[in-house]
Amino acid sequence: MKSLDPRINRLKLPDKTEPLAEREYWQTYEVFHQEKRGRHHVHVGSVHAPNAEMALIFAKEQFGRRKRCVNMWVVKTADIHAFSLEDEDIFSTTPEKIHREASGYRVADRITQFKTTQ
Amino acid sequence: MYGNLSITEDARSRVTIQEDPEKLSEFQAKIDAGEKIEPHDWMPAEYRRQLIRMIEQHAHSEIIGALPEGTWITRAPSLKRKLALIAKVQDEIGHGHLLYNAAETLGKSREQMINDLLSGKSKYSNVFNYPAETWADVTVIGFLIDAAAIVNQLANSRGSYGPYCRALERICYEESFHLKQGHEAFVYLATGTKKQRQMLQDAINRWYKPIIHFFGPPDKISVHTEQLVRWKVKMATNDEMRNQFLDTYVPKVLELGLTFPDTNLRKNNETGMWEFSDPDWDEFFRVINGNGPCNKERLAVRRWAEEHGRWVRRALQHPSESYRIPLS
Amino acid sequence: MNEAITDLLLKMGDDALVLGHRNSEWTGLGPVLEEDIAFSSMAQDKIGHAIALYNILHEDFGAPSPDDLAYKRKPDAFRCCHFVELPIGEYDFSLVRHFFFDHAEACRYRLLEHSSNNRLAALARKVRGEIKYHVMHADTWIKELGQASTESRERIIRSIQMAYPYALGIFEPCQRESDLITSGIFPGEEALRQEWLHSVQSVLEPIQIALPQDRVEPVFGGRKGVHTPHLQALLDEMTEVHRMEPDAEW
Repeated sequence: MKSLDPRINRLKLPDKTEPLAEREYWQTYEVFHQEKRGRHHVHVGSVHAPNAEMALIFAKEQFGRRKRCVNMWVVKTADIHAFSLEDEDIFSTTPEKIHREASGYRVADRITQFKTTQ
Repeated sequence: MYGNLSITEDARSRVTIQEDPEKLSEFQAKIDAGEKIEPHDWMPAEYRRQLIRMIEQHAHSEIIGALPEGTWITRAPSLKRKLALIAKVQDEIGHGHLLYNAAETLGKSREQMINDLLSGKSKYSNVFNYPAETWADVTVIGFLIDAAAIVNQLANSRGSYGPYCRALERICYEESFHLKQGHEAFVYLATGTKKQRQMLQDAINRWYKPIIHFFGPPDKISVHTEQLVRWKVKMATNDEMRNQFLDTYVPKVLELGLTFPDTNLRKNNETGMWEFSDPDWDEFFRVINGNGPCNKERLAVRRWAEEHGRWVRRALQHPSESYRIPLS
Repeated sequence: MNEAITDLLLKMGDDALVLGHRNSEWTGLGPVLEEDIAFSSMAQDKIGHAIALYNILHEDFGAPSPDDLAYKRKPDAFRCCHFVELPIGEYDFSLVRHFFFDHAEACRYRLLEHSSNNRLAALARKVRGEIKYHVMHADTWIKELGQASTESRERIIRSIQMAYPYALGIFEPCQRESDLITSGIFPGEEALRQEWLHSVQSVLEPIQIALPQDRVEPVFGGRKGVHTPHLQALLDEMTEVHRMEPDAEW
């Protein structure tokens, strides 16, 4: 097989390959990216890596090569715990809890009324 | 880079599971309300299947797409072009990585996807089965094929599946540099010496047909996709995207005094649609089914890469580690 | 004096260009996608270093432009070492070359941070972080593969044996080196070799990989313009398009 790509002509291209085995690509790590000091680390994606050290080495270039970045975390996907989506409703009444909101405490009217009665 | 979304939609293998109508209507309501679907949400089996197929093909297209452009990495004619081309091909690999991860969240492992690519079971964009014969071909790919890909990807980034949208957002951000550098290299040839200009014109002539093919067959002959539109899996039809692309980019080629090898290419101002000669859709189907000029080489190169990387991957495997589907 | 500095700049630039070119051959063909991306970034960094060094030559010493230096010289005008000219081989060789070379480069730039040549010193400070990552990347791989499986350890050891004499060729002395040392521009190749040896051994010793013990003959020649046939082939390929219209803008 003659290729137009000189790099390819230097390889000996196989006609057949053994299929990849399951788990040949290592486990996954989740990547958290900190854009600036003082900001939160934000989840940006994941990498396949054999350990945390390699995950960091990979994450640095895959998620830090284009945008500004000052630090990164990697965490094994298996170590992330989340609520089950069926339990999403445990958050459903949160926005209604007015006693936790600044808007739930209004005194201007009362003060005005008080002043007019003085 | 990406294209031909609709082409391998395979109606015959469509799953005909009877979905729970209540769940189905909740699911549709969520999508209609503009909410995103996340990996662990309930979703119809057919939605999952179509998304895996689509994201996987997109991922394959990125890593196979690295090959035609990679053809000229070692021969880029200036240091600036050399850096830009390496960075660009690297980004395509990066996009492949993001997309495989997005597809993985739906339950298909990267290994399964690569195996399906290597065995020919899973497809990738037809356009990468054509050779990049000269340096000018790389500039045509970098400008026009990337532009076409952006039209496609911007549309898809408004879709309903969260991880795919997030990957596409990042991809579109990176593609904007690709388009700029592709356009610049293209303009330098167009405004260069006679020889450079001729090189470019020849490359445009070679790539015209694959570019028209890029968005897939016309709506009137492509597979019915009403369901996918309702699920916001498919965000625009082939003809819509092709038209949007031609509208924006044909003038940018013509303004440089270059031509397309099709005397029928023109905009119909009444319909607002571009018209062109029949681009031989039979050829399109021949190529996607494995008989294009470079199909064999592309897969053989990928096989080489997987085969030669195997000792590295195997050496660092830890059998005790359990695998979890990535989060995004 | 100028000749001594230009020699130094040119050999550093040529090493960086040729190795960057070599490493970019892996782009799209690496063993895992994640590594493909990382290795490609470092290839770009190397070419970036070459451009920066060629720029100093061009602006301060009247040499041709960076592109002309890269694309219009005959092999015997290049001052790269043979090590960087060798084909990429299998991944273990490319990694070992990256390990040996980038340790040398990290040591070299560290020494240059104190150079009496301001532009070199500024460049050395600027690329410090980049090269630190290159070394971190190389060390991680060598440590991992050097201890992982029997096959991977053997491959790394074999590549180290093969690469070592060539790696020593990085430190081929130049004729006018004493000028550099006395004027505080660069403390010389022998000082660099000592630091490098210490640096690579600190990674290899914990994983019990020894450098070749017997008297090893370093592969010299590159710094005098004598090269392997690989360089001619590499340049023929690199300049193929450029030569079609050498005076055009691409």
